[in-house]
Formats: sequence, structure tokens, C-alpha cells
Amino acid sequence: MTHVLRRLVLMLLVLWAIASILFLMFRLMPGDPTTAYIDPTFTAEQRQVVLHQFGLDLPLWRQYAIYIGNLLHGELGLSFRYRAPVAGLILNVLPNTLLLTLTALVIAYIFGALGGALLAMKRGTWVEAVTIPLVLATRAAPEFWLGMLLLAVFAFAFGWFPSGGAVTAGAAFPSALARVTSADFAHHLVLPAATLAIYLQGLPLLLMRANMLEVMQEEFITMARMKGFGEWSIMLRHAARNALLPLVTAFALGFGASVGGNVVVETVFSWPGIGRMLVDAVASSDYPLAQGAFLLIAAVLVVMNAVADMLYGVLDPRVAHAAG
Amino acid sequence: MLLSVDDLAVAYRTSRGDARAVDGARLDLPQGALLGLVGESGCGKTTLARAIMGVLPRNGSVRRGRIVFDGIDLLSLPPERRRALLWRDIAFIPQSAMNSLDPVYTLRAQLREVLCGRGGLSRGAADDRAEELFAAVGLDAARLAHYPHQFSGGMRQRAAIALALALKPRLIIADEPVTALDVIVQRQVLNTFQDLSRDLQLSAIVVTHDVSVVAFLCDLTAVMYAGKVVEYGATRDVLRAPAHPYTMGLMQAFPDLDRDAETLVSIEGAPPSLLDPPPGCRFAPRCSLAEAACRTADPPPLGDAHWAACIRA
Amino acid sequence: MPPAETVALAAPRGLAWRRLPSLAIVKPYATVGIAIYLVFALIALFAGRIAPYDPLEILFAPDGQLAASLPPSAQHLLGTTNLGRDIFSQLVLGARPSLAVGITAAIGVASIGTIVGLLSGYFGGLIDTILMRLADVVVGIPFLPFVIVLAVLLHPSLTNIVLSVALLLWPNAARVIRSQVLTLRQRQFVEAARMSAASELRILLIHVAPNVLPLSFLYASIAVGWAILTEASVSFLGFGSADTISWGYMLQDAYASQALSRGQYIWFVPPGICIVLVVLAGFLVSRGYEELLFPKLKD
Ligand SMILES: Nc1ncnc2c1ncn2[C@@H]1O[C@H](COP(=O)(O)OP(=O)(O)OP(=O)(O)O)[C@@H](O)[C@H]1O
Ligand SMILES: [Mg+2]
Repeated sequence: MTHVLRRLVLMLLVLWAIASILFLMFRLMPGDPTTAYIDPTFTAEQRQVVLHQFGLDLPLWRQYAIYIGNLLHGELGLSFRYRAPVAGLILNVLPNTLLLTLTALVIAYIFGALGGALLAMKRGTWVEAVTIPLVLATRAAPEFWLGMLLLAVFAFAFGWFPSGGAVTAGAAFPSALARVTSADFAHHLVLPAATLAIYLQGLPLLLMRANMLEVMQEEFITMARMKGFGEWSIMLRHAARNALLPLVTAFALGFGASVGGNVVVETVFSWPGIGRMLVDAVASSDYPLAQGAFLLIAAVLVVMNAVADMLYGVLDPRVAHAAG
Repeated sequence: MLLSVDDLAVAYRTSRGDARAVDGARLDLPQGALLGLVGESGCGKTTLARAIMGVLPRNGSVRRGRIVFDGIDLLSLPPERRRALLWRDIAFIPQSAMNSLDPVYTLRAQLREVLCGRGGLSRGAADDRAEELFAAVGLDAARLAHYPHQFSGGMRQRAAIALALALKPRLIIADEPVTALDVIVQRQVLNTFQDLSRDLQLSAIVVTHDVSVVAFLCDLTAVMYAGKVVEYGATRDVLRAPAHPYTMGLMQAFPDLDRDAETLVSIEGAPPSLLDPPPGCRFAPRCSLAEAACRTADPPPLGDAHWAACIRA
Repeated sequence: MPPAETVALAAPRGLAWRRLPSLAIVKPYATVGIAIYLVFALIALFAGRIAPYDPLEILFAPDGQLAASLPPSAQHLLGTTNLGRDIFSQLVLGARPSLAVGITAAIGVASIGTIVGLLSGYFGGLIDTILMRLADVVVGIPFLPFVIVLAVLLHPSLTNIVLSVALLLWPNAARVIRSQVLTLRQRQFVEAARMSAASELRILLIHVAPNVLPLSFLYASIAVGWAILTEASVSFLGFGSADTISWGYMLQDAYASQALSRGQYIWFVPPGICIVLVVLAGFLVSRGYEELLFPKLKD
């Protein structure tokens, strides 16, 4: 219990530190955060009004105090560009990102776990010699380039899938839920999710393979053979079951990291997610929006890192009971 | 005979050549008897035990010989038929139950796996039987819900015995079942095993390097040296009147209950290389009684009730 | 009292450098990786001679027409872009920024990681706590978003990409090196050096640091690939250095110029393959090297 508590405190500290770093980054960087926003033709008075509107005329420490205070209330400020609360804008696109990430991760981890287990059973064969460099190559390929290849082939050459967006332009849905469960949404999801899954599957696959090879050396695998069980049932019930534990942790870590890493895939496929929102906000100097999107991505990452740590303890009976 | 092993040879492929871990072993086990298999570390006891099970490490294989179980020649049996015998007819108790129990399942799940998966019991019947088995080996039924790491060493070994007994096998092979335990716990577990073997009339091979375990538990004794069984007979005969010089040495190397530990004498020298064993009797280089003939002739294990592979026997 | 030199002789071989040359021989994957590196290094070195055109020059056909979107030919091995630029020349010159970013970022990551790991592990206490909490914070910063934001706030340039990669990727190296230092510190030879009243810094530099350098090298070889991928991603997102032709820039150019819908594969496939090869080479070398450092039991 104290372990979990300590992990949670660390998590909050890290979140606070990142929020502060972000604050300093945006305030102390060369150039006024509003230069891009404020038209050079503005009069000094108009300028002052805008600065005041965004609280930028206060001393730095006051701004910081207000910033942290607002964060605690979930208040992320106003977007320069949309003139709307950042929190609302972000929450609007967050489901798109989460669905894309989750779909891709689930596919990648199922494929990776199975592939890794098979590969472990094929160790020392030509299958292994061919597959491993291939898997490494998928990890070495830039995500956006994988996306471009899929787009060129399956969207443009074959015309099987749409080339961008999450739903057909102009389509109306009775509710947000109806929208994400529609066939149209799924159709749009295929290519970005496939891109992400291809990129992500290498890690679980290699991890599973390494774990399996390790577990297969264990005495209890030999014992299962002595009990007369078939090779497949041993691999499944004992080797894979033990080798899967670290994958669950990796899944949590991967989820945290992908939400931030999605920026390129979302850009390639014009997927209306938080990553693309961040890129657009940065490109158009909409700093409150960029800051809010960044913070949320960081929050997901930090929370998932903590979850991964704690999951590790919960899932492995040895650790779970030792921690007591 | 329930089990007869004759001229068995098992070798491991290694980067430096074949290691002939078992090389011409012979032994017989009548129905209902406990046989102690003793010998120094590395003489091939585990290899012999695992060869009987038919589960060798990847680089190990049987090179020649016969293993006959209840009239069936195991080595000529198709793999599927042989696998069908495992655990139902021949079960195994490993040395370290810590590593041989799967850490992510409770003991109930592991017993259930064997009882349902190999024994064909229903889930309910399996759970009843699991409690019965735990009671038999002296464990509290509440322990069934625990994971292996929550057990002490002695309790784990008891659990391993319960697992081995689960399908009422006709033969149990125990590879150093108590070696990993401290002396007092060793005694307790051995007592339990002895009671069980009497009640259930178990037939078992008990591998150990501790002569006192054999003396305490076993009707028969087989002494192994460098891949061979060099002496075999009723425990009483073998321990009182050892016929092989190696057995004599071994008797001296182990203090028994009435002798003082200080008189412990160990045999000089080291066992021969398994990669390239010397010709003649394997023990000759270390044998104080060796003659010239010992270095050329390898005496076969001849005889019935009590025999020794030594030209002087 | 033994002089420090004799103590150093008694030091365990540890992760010995001398095994490094055997890397190529023992691990075929690593050999392939090193070969790929060498080829691209040569291309980068002689890019000016290999490339037939200025990569940004807008070319015209003899008849005065813009040489736009030409298919591959003897003059233009990979054809031209929609603005009439020679793709092959861009590809060749693109090797330079990619390798430059990869190598400098690797040096940065390894340096920060090694210094932090050494200080943290050797001195322990408050220094250790502060540095390791800092590592926790850095691990919580989303990588690509940070690189983008930093690239925009400071102006977009290769240097800033290298800087942000170095700032974010050091914690893994630091943590591993720290634990290596912790074990080294227990060892006899450091104790012996202590007794000879050698200064702390001297012990750290002479006895501890050389033993963790192979680990630094391992993390450097891992960082090469990450840095190249990062540069490509950032360029693709449009936050790359404006005056550099890199593979990432080429891909962004192709994407923005509708090369995908036109099916002009020859424009966007080769740069991607180059990135894959260079990053893969890094993976292969680091894997081989890791196995050399931490040999696993063979079945
Ligand atoms: N997988 C293997 N590959 C190569 N050699 C092996 C292998 N397993 C065992 N050996 C060797 O075979 C010989 C016999 O080993 P075995 O485990 O059968 O001995 P043992 O009598 O059970 O010893 P102990 O009392 O230490 O358990 C030893 O020399 C050992 O090193
Ligand atoms: Mg053994």
C-alpha cells in the first residue's frame, strides 16, 4: 500500500514539474507569446487590452500562481485562435485520439504476443533469421512514411479507404457515440490504425519472444512435459502465461507514449485528434491551445507510467504478496 | 519387475563433443519396492531419472539400451503412447519444488490441471481429490488457494509429492526430493513419504547423494558412478557388505547416525571426464584396490539379487 | 600503499573494450549494420561529387519547359519533383543532415547519460536523489510534442532538434550506468584506490568511468536511430530546418505536393528506405553489441 502511495505522490510531483517547465518554456522563450497573434497594426492600447485579456500583463510569479491555480480547476485558458476554452476544444478531440491509439495498440499487442510466442518456438530456424530483421525494420521505419505508403496504395491507387479525416465530410450523427460506432468512422479508422499497429507491434513481439525464451528454460516447463501435456498446451498455459506479464506493463507504457507519438500519424491522415491539434496550434502560435494539448498528452503519459509500475505489482503474484 | 533398465546410454551434445552422462546403466525395480539411487554429484542420476521419464534436455538423447516398464519397452513406444503413460503411470518429484511449480497459478489450479487434464476428473471431483491429497501429505486444505511462493520449502516439497500422487501412478521417480531442505524438515518430509509409501504401497526410485536417506527409506540400493550403476542389491546387503570399492568409499564418505562426523573420509581424486572416459573400469584411477586388468577390462554388471560391476566381486 | 596504476591493473576486465573488434565477426547482424553505416558515411562524405545537380535548383528541359515530375531516366535517376528538382541529388545530399543529427545527438545522449549516471551512482545521497527525480520528470515529458514545441520556440534548426533529443533521451542511459557504478563501487579495486587516498574525482575518472564507457557506447548507438527518426518526423511536420534538404524534408515535400495521389512512388519511397536502413543499422549494431556485453546463456 505504501508503495502505491509513494508512486502516486511521485506521479503528482512529476506532473507539477512538467506543468512548471511548460510554463517557463512558453513565457521565457525569446519573443512575446502574443507576437504572432497581435497584429503589428494594433495600437499600444489595443495591444494592452489583449495582453490583459490573457493575463499577460501581470508579473511572472502572479501569472504562475494563476496558471497553477487554474490547472487545479481544470481551467486551461482561452485559445488565441478559436477564442474558446482550451479544455473544451481538447476534450472534443480526445476520444478520437484514444480510440485510434487503443485500436492500434490492441491489434499490435495481440499480433505481437502471438508472433513473439511463435517466433520463440521457432528459435534457431530460418524463420527466425528472416523475421527478426524484418520486425526491426518496421521499428526503424518512420511512422508517417508507413502511413504515406498505405495512403498511396490503399487510398489513392486502390481507392479502398478514405485518405483522411475521421468521418466523411458533412456526415451528421445523432450523438457522439453514434458517430464513433458508425461504419463510416471504422472505415476511416482502418489506415491510421493499421499504420500505428505496424509501427507498434515490434516491441511486444520482440519482448514476448525474449520472455518466452527465458520462461521456456524454467523447471516448471520441464515438469509440465513430464506431466504428459502436449507441447501446445504447455506453451499456452505455462510459457505464454508467464511471458505475458511484462507485456501488460509494456501495454500501459505504450499507451502513454503513443498518445504523444500519434502526432505524425494524425497529421498524415488528417485525423482530428489531440496530436494534430497540438501541431496546428504550434504552427499557428496558438500557445494556450498548444500548452493545453501538451499538458494533457503529458498527463496521459505520466499516469500510464505510474499505472504500469503499479500493474506490475498487481499482476505478478510474487510481487503482489511481497509488497504486502 | 515393474521397471527394468538395461545397458542404457544417454549423451548430451555439447560444443566440446558428446558428454556420455549415462553409459551402460542397469537396474531393476520390483513392484512395491523403494529403490535408492545414490552417487556423487554429476554421476548421471538426474539424467537417468529423466531418461526414464522420457523428458531430456534439448541436447540430450538416449543412445542405446532398454527401459522396460510393466512389460512395455518404453524406448520403442511411439511418442504419443509414451506421453500417455506420463503422470498416470509414472510421476516425478523434482528436487526444487520452487522452480518446478508455475509461479502464476495457485496449487489448486496446478492440481486441477493434472487431475482434469490428465486424469479426466470433473472440476468438482478434482477439488475434492485435491483436498484429500493435501491432507495425505500433511498440508492444510486452506493452502490450496495459495501461490507457490507463499509456501515454505518443506511445504512446497509436500505439495510436489501431492502432485505426484494425484493420479495414483504405479511408479514414482523422486529426484533428490529433500536435498534442498534443512535437516529437520528433511526428516519430517521423509517420514511423510515413508508413511505414504507404506499405506499406498508405492513403487519408487529415490535419487539422492545421501546414503542415510537410502538407509532410512529404501528396500533396494543402486550405486551409480560415472554413468554406470556399479552396485545393486538389497539396501541391507549393499550397506553392510559393499562389494564394489566405490561403494565402500561412499560408505566412509557419509557419516551415519552412530558414527561421528569427524571420521568422514572422502574418496580421493575426481570422477573421469564424460567426454572422453578412460578405458576399463571407470573407477580404476581412484581405486586403491585396482589391478592392471582393471584398466583394460570393463566388468559387466552380472548377477541377480546383489551384484557389483567389479572384477573382484 | 600501491600506486593507482597497479590497482588499475588489478581491476576486473568488466565490459572490456578489447571485445569490440570481435563484434563484427561474432554477430552477423552487427556486421550488416556496420556495413550500412559505412556505405552511408561514404555517400555523405562524397555527396557533393555524387549528386549530379544542386538539389534545390529548378531544372528546365532543353526545350525550355520546366522539367517537372519527370520519370526516372539517365539524366534524372529518380526523376524530378513537381518543381523540377532532381530527386536523386536530394536523396544523396539528404544523407548529410541525417547522419549529422544522428551522430551528434548520440554523443549528446551518451555524454549526459554518462555524467549523470556517474555522479548519481558514485556520490549517492542528495545528488543521487535530485538527479534521479529529474530523470523521472524527463521520462514523463512526451517526446515528439516537446521536440516540436522547442523547435518552434527556439527557431527550427538541426541544432535545436539535436538539443531536444539529447535533453530527453538521457534518463535510460543514466539509470543503467548508475546501477553499474553502484556495483563497481562495491568492488575491491575502488576500495583499494580509496585507501591509497586517491581523490574522489581521480577514482571516478580512472577506475569507474572506463568501466561504464561500453554502456555509454551502447546507449549512443541506440540514440542514433531515434535522433534520425525524430529529425525526419519533425521535418515532416513542417518544423524542420528550412534551409536543409533532409530525407524528412523530401517526404514532407512529396506529401504536400500530392505525390501520393499522383502515385509518384519514386519520390517518396527511396527517402523512406534510406531512413529505414540507417536506423535499422543502428538497431543491428546495438543489438549485437548488447549481446556481446551481456551474453545470454545459449540453450
Ligand atoms: N543439458 C546438459 N548438457 C550437457 N551436459 C549436461 C547436461 N545436463 C547434465 N549434463 C552433465 O551430465 C552429467 C550428469 O549430470 P546429472 O545432472 O545427471 O548428474 P547428477 O548425478 O544428477 O548430479 P547432481 O547430484 O549434481 O544432481 C554432469 O557431468 C553434467 O554436467
Ligand atoms: Mg541431479
